[in-house]
Amino acid sequence: MKKNTLLVSILIVMLFSCSSSSTQEIQGTSGTPVGNPNPDPNETENTSTEWTIPVNEVLDGGPGRDGIPALENPVMVTAQNASLLSDSDLVLGYKKGNDVRAYQHNILDWHEIVNDNIDNVSLAITYCPLTGTGIGWNRFVDGIETTFGVSGLLYQTNLIPFDRATKSNWSQILGESVNGSLAGKDAELITLVETDWKTWKSMFPNTTVMGLETGFSRTYGTYPYSDYKTNNSLFFFPTPKDSRLPSKDRVHAIIIGGFAKAYQFSDFDTTPIIKDTFRDRNYLLVGNANFIASFELDATQNALEFEYIFDGTSEAVFQDNRGTQYNIFGESISGGEQLELSESFMGYWFSIPAFYTTEVFGE
Amino acid sequence: MSNNLGLPNEGKGVFLLGLNYDYNNLNTLNAGAEKLDDNSRLRITNSILLNLGYAFTDRISVETLFTWVNQKRTISQFGNESLTDTKGIGDAVILAKYAIPDVLGASSVVNLGLGTKAPLGKSDLTSSEGFLLIADLQPGSGAWDALGWLSVSKGFSFRPSATFSGSFTYRLTGKNTSYLNNSSTYQFGNVIQANVGYTDQFFFLNTIFSPGLVFKYRHASYDKIDGSQLPNTGGEWVFVRPELIVSLTPNLAVSSRVELPLYSHVEGTQLTPTLRFTAGISYTFKKATPNILN
Repeated sequence: MKKNTLLVSILIVMLFSCSSSSTQEIQGTSGTPVGNPNPDPNETENTSTEWTIPVNEVLDGGPGRDGIPALENPVMVTAQNASLLSDSDLVLGYKKGNDVRAYQHNILDWHEIVNDNIDNVSLAITYCPLTGTGIGWNRFVDGIETTFGVSGLLYQTNLIPFDRATKSNWSQILGESVNGSLAGKDAELITLVETDWKTWKSMFPNTTVMGLETGFSRTYGTYPYSDYKTNNSLFFFPTPKDSRLPSKDRVHAIIIGGFAKAYQFSDFDTTPIIKDTFRDRNYLLVGNANFIASFELDATQNALEFEYIFDGTSEAVFQDNRGTQYNIFGESISGGEQLELSESFMGYWFSIPAFYTTEVFGE
Repeated sequence: MSNNLGLPNEGKGVFLLGLNYDYNNLNTLNAGAEKLDDNSRLRITNSILLNLGYAFTDRISVETLFTWVNQKRTISQFGNESLTDTKGIGDAVILAKYAIPDVLGASSVVNLGLGTKAPLGKSDLTSSEGFLLIADLQPGSGAWDALGWLSVSKGFSFRPSATFSGSFTYRLTGKNTSYLNNSSTYQFGNVIQANVGYTDQFFFLNTIFSPGLVFKYRHASYDKIDGSQLPNTGGEWVFVRPELIVSLTPNLAVSSRVELPLYSHVEGTQLTPTLRFTAGISYTFKKATPNILN
């Protein structure tokens, strides 16, 4: 009996071993590359433990690195061949010359990052479903073209992408690398336009949109997060809240340094054209119930008067008092003049003051 | 855990010990009942389970279950592999049981049990880089649960070696109020589990072999974070479980079982069990019969 008691005691002591965790990243092992092969054959591992944001506020979101697989150069189809896309579905749009592309939320919800090449532009569409932020980045970093992937980590509920060349981690909303050899480096922002599919198609009937054949098996068209988009009380991870506006209201945020100014759709109810000043810079904002776009004006442009002319049937959205008509990217329809898109993006209200000292237009 | 509860009451003063290794592999990605063509995500849980049972009387017994858990998450994508691994002592269960013999006729016994799951395991482990890991990667739950347990077994005279059995477990989960650095509450979904099975015995090489076949139904409710349902958690499953017990001596037995999913319906999109294997030994410490001297 004494021997039996000793045996049981030893077993219990063995069980009470220390709790621990470990992580390991192995390159070039199992798994068949899906879609295009990794364009960074010389990628290195990131061994840096230094972060420019508080490490104790960085959380493992659950899926793990590449557990949400980013897309690379997805197959694009014409608007007529688009599937699972209703008029009210949101898309992120980009235009380079005559190449007009839409990246729909109902695929981005499952992949969060699309690495694409449009003419000579190497673009990463980054979209975080939990902060509702769709932000474009130039994939040329320090002169080297890279691709971005989903790290599986979150900061203030927001996506942390990583670049495959250096495995540095980046904050999507801050637009800068926060860990790794590129820590402190700013991402070069490529401003996207977010609107509903019907509005986008009416502006750009020749647009292409992502096809459903992504190489991955997902239930596109089914939103994966229940009523998160509209439930102001539902959050999966801790994040500061600012009660000035409802948490999940979509706002347009103009960013300058550590400051942001937020504009609501309701600001354009009575006047679809707003001229505003933020941090000593002049802006033109154009909006309706379905889109908000903003442009930074130089002194000459700021002296112009602008008129909203979008009728839902063509590319022209507004014109100036000289008769020059512009599309939603600030491009003159007749060519030549170009208004500069501001550094801005759409997102859920709560995510903006979580990262920036934020003014609310009209506050 | 529920799979490993239910040590029998072998009579007053009898102490039972069971030591099992459990391997649970989740490599099937489902959207509802639809299996998706994606095996890039792999979750493996290795557990060591120590069961201790003691019968105070022929009817009243208590059972405890201690666990050690190793959780692994592997993502194989784009030719690379990402592994996250946690290990440590897991939660424990204590279950008080009451046996009612012959309530369904001869060779039958009904057992009722009430117990609790104690949060002995850590629920705030961070990755090696220092990031807090989510609830289902932690060895422990951080919460007390209540357990209700019922089992029925019945032998039939037409085949004395056979036993039909069934069990039902209900786990009412508690809240981890210190989730994510005390910023949130996390509550795993309540679980219902029911088993029906058939076990027989045959004698071979001077050894008793007891093969069995069990069908298991499991339903888990949504997990909740701060009281709100967490998408892509919960579901219901039906498993088949062939098992074999080999009684090496009257006191010592070895067992093994394999659990295979027959039906899986998950909420949203999530990994679902692909294969489970359990093997172990059990030992019965019988109370010594006192020597009566004439």
